[in-house]
Amino acid sequence: MGKKEFIIRRLLQMVVTFLIILTGLFFVFRLALPDPTSALVMEGLSAEAQAMVRARFGLDRPLWQQYFIYLGNFFQGEFGMSFHYRSAIAPIVWEKMLNTLVLMFPAIIISYSTGPILGVILSWRRGSRIEYSGIVGGLFLRSAPVFWTGMIFIMLFGITLGILPTSGMRTLPYEATGFLDKVFTLDFLWHLILPAMTIAIYYMALPMLIMRNTMLEVMGEDFIELCQAKGLSERVIMYKHAARNALLPVVTQAAITIGLAVGGQVVVEVVFSWPGLGREIIQSVRTSDFPMAQACFMLMAGMVMVMNFLADLLYGYLDPRVVYQKGGK
Amino acid sequence: MAQKSNRWKQLQPYFQSMKAPFKAIWADPLGRPGSILFILILFVAIFAPVLATHDPHVMNENIEGTAAPFVDGEWQRMSVIGDRPLNSTAVISPGESYSVGREGIILHFDGDEWVEKESPVDISLQSVDFFSPEFGFAVGEKGTIILFDGQAWQQVDSPVEIMLKGVAVPAEDMALAVGEEGTILQWDGSSWTRLESPTERDLNAVFMTSPDSGVLVGGRGTIIHYEEGEFVNASFRTMLDGTFRDLNAVAISPEGFGFTTGQRGEILGFDGEDWFNMSSPESRELTGVGIVDADKAYIVGIRGIVLEYDGEAWSRMDLGYRRSFRGLDISEGYGFGIGTDPYINELSPPTRDHLFGTTHLGRDIWSQVMYGSRTALIVGIVTALLVNIIGVVIGLVSGYFRGRVDNILMRIVDIMYGLPLEPFAIILVLIFRPSLWIIILAIGLLTWRTNARIIRSQVLSLVERPFIKAARVAGAGDLRIILVHIAPNILPLAFLQLAVAIGYAITAEATLSFLGLGPPRLYSWGTILHAARLSGAWRTAWWWIIPPGVFISLTVVSVFLISRSLEVLTNPRLRGGNTRAPGSK
Repeated sequence: MGKKEFIIRRLLQMVVTFLIILTGLFFVFRLALPDPTSALVMEGLSAEAQAMVRARFGLDRPLWQQYFIYLGNFFQGEFGMSFHYRSAIAPIVWEKMLNTLVLMFPAIIISYSTGPILGVILSWRRGSRIEYSGIVGGLFLRSAPVFWTGMIFIMLFGITLGILPTSGMRTLPYEATGFLDKVFTLDFLWHLILPAMTIAIYYMALPMLIMRNTMLEVMGEDFIELCQAKGLSERVIMYKHAARNALLPVVTQAAITIGLAVGGQVVVEVVFSWPGLGREIIQSVRTSDFPMAQACFMLMAGMVMVMNFLADLLYGYLDPRVVYQKGGK
Repeated sequence: MAQKSNRWKQLQPYFQSMKAPFKAIWADPLGRPGSILFILILFVAIFAPVLATHDPHVMNENIEGTAAPFVDGEWQRMSVIGDRPLNSTAVISPGESYSVGREGIILHFDGDEWVEKESPVDISLQSVDFFSPEFGFAVGEKGTIILFDGQAWQQVDSPVEIMLKGVAVPAEDMALAVGEEGTILQWDGSSWTRLESPTERDLNAVFMTSPDSGVLVGGRGTIIHYEEGEFVNASFRTMLDGTFRDLNAVAISPEGFGFTTGQRGEILGFDGEDWFNMSSPESRELTGVGIVDADKAYIVGIRGIVLEYDGEAWSRMDLGYRRSFRGLDISEGYGFGIGTDPYINELSPPTRDHLFGTTHLGRDIWSQVMYGSRTALIVGIVTALLVNIIGVVIGLVSGYFRGRVDNILMRIVDIMYGLPLEPFAIILVLIFRPSLWIIILAIGLLTWRTNARIIRSQVLSLVERPFIKAARVAGAGDLRIILVHIAPNILPLAFLQLAVAIGYAITAEATLSFLGLGPPRLYSWGTILHAARLSGAWRTAWWWIIPPGVFISLTVVSVFLISRSLEVLTNPRLRGGNTRAPGSK
């Protein structure tokens, strides 16, 4: 099976997966909560008025019709009406998604640029005190719940030292005409430091430990011996030859991590009051805003899937040994 | 019998591969501390009720003994004089007083300050009275009587074991003590004897104006006069006078008039002959009465109540006290109102009593953290087992049978990989209700995917091994090959996955609980942090957020360390010391 075929198959699979999740979510919501209007209309509203509200949100049609309307709209980028904002969901979630991405990408770039280097150092000091303290320290950072480190950072830098802002993306009140206008400011960078550092520290340990492990594997291979025989310096062998070959799993992990981070770091957004997708989904759950919760969830799931796909592609690109074939011989 | 030994033989590979992981963990320099740490936390979880010093739900109160001096006709500022509540005070002279209270506390006032005296008992003292600076008694729970002989307090024999609530000492050879169930004791100069009592109701207080004359009051409006060795029932002005409420205190002036007071603001006056009801400005419990002169008397009660008598009627005074009075004694225009106030011990930094301090509701954080370990480990272990069972079964089936089964199962795994964990759990909780099971289910449903994939790939490589082929040629069935030949070989890997899953599940549970999706009324480390965040006090109350986080981290670190040492077992290439010299293996 060729590469092209693999990509097409994978893309198709992704679309099917997305459809299945979307369908599952739709029906689970409708079956568990047969009348979403109960969250929408005030009690004591007359029957006619209630019917009107239902008609306005299209809830008076049969379920299968609702489903196909929902499906059609979804793929046109129409996510429906928010119960809470009383307006179209799409523009809101797109902005929230950008907010999330603008927090996650710097954080992951920081962690995946420093983590592997630390991993190389650890592997080179195999069996030493540095290696053990590095492993234990790395594991501790990975074990500490990210919302907790966030709280500690807020307490330390925001309250005790009082040098960094602890909530939101910008100092209120502010005026911005668009997303770029909002982000390209010093004030934004200032607000980015704490949440991004919190996430970066959490994600730093994984590439570090993976790097160390693969380095150990790579250093057992013949070509390293050859390099030593050639009389290359340790530093050159370490960074130029061994590390380059050991980077592969780290890169794959990076893609997976981005996918998970985008869909997963709800807590960081909550702790730092960052107006992203994660905080939005929590809010929509609290306000019983089901269409909003659905849209947020599907966006997150979509991002996870895209990132997993990219990870697969990257893996194949970086490691020529990978053969695209169906699972099982 | 033969069958049995055969079965035993079949199980042997399991036992052997069961032992290997533990050996590997113990052999690893990081696995050992990891497993010790995990066992410690396991112990904390098992013995949580023993380790918890307080009920984690209870709002802890601080109790202090307080005194409000009454000097030269003026009430002074109330101040804290001890760390235990006080029940009674006796003013010997304007410069000297004693107060007694819970846990046998005895405080002496020498005119400047209160000093704690050595006490021969450690149970609650209810009442104290003095004849002279060199002679006095205090009585308390379980019939306890202690005597002050001018030098020190010492316990004296008591004929009863009933709670004694009042004592009056009008002479060195005459004293009366009263208590529950109508108990009356008399001191004859050398020992206490029990007197025949005219009542079975609880007696709460006794006041003697002379060795021959006194008044006893108690439950349900009981008033009994003591006249020259005889007990006589009180006489009332009219048929309508009197009360059915409990009376707490009584005082009689040298001139012969007096007052008694009790529950629900009840006040009765005594004109020397008869008792009569007085109108009261208060409806809460009154606990002490003290007489200055014919035109001035005071009554104190709970929540800082002070009532003043101007010779005609009682009126309320607001002195700004909020702590409850338990007793009052005034002598020669000088006295003390003493009492206590249980107040909520909120946001207290760590103390010896509260090792991790308290929350904004006065709850003990140490105890919450101890109980939280249970939730964390239950969720961690149950979820990990669930995940592992699903993962191993699916991985085995998928990897062994391959083909269509494998394809379907792996597509399901692919779909699962599209679901982000936290949002998925949030949606689950939105649809159902937050509970421990929903959390376990949410985490379990999403994490078996990794286990299944890893086990499957291991099975795929195992199936190609010669010994499996040999078994097949020998005629072994599928089930037998899976259970006897493959399963024992994937056990180390399953163990590794178990450890990883425990850590993952604990973090996930803490995260969900932190978001407020945890089970209500159940403490977990995440819920503690959630409460801290909700209260807003966490920004300064470091003692509230550091311990739960440290416990989460330590637990997860311990399982990570264990899983790391298991990794060595499943991936032999990681073995060995310094592999700087390649090929040194």
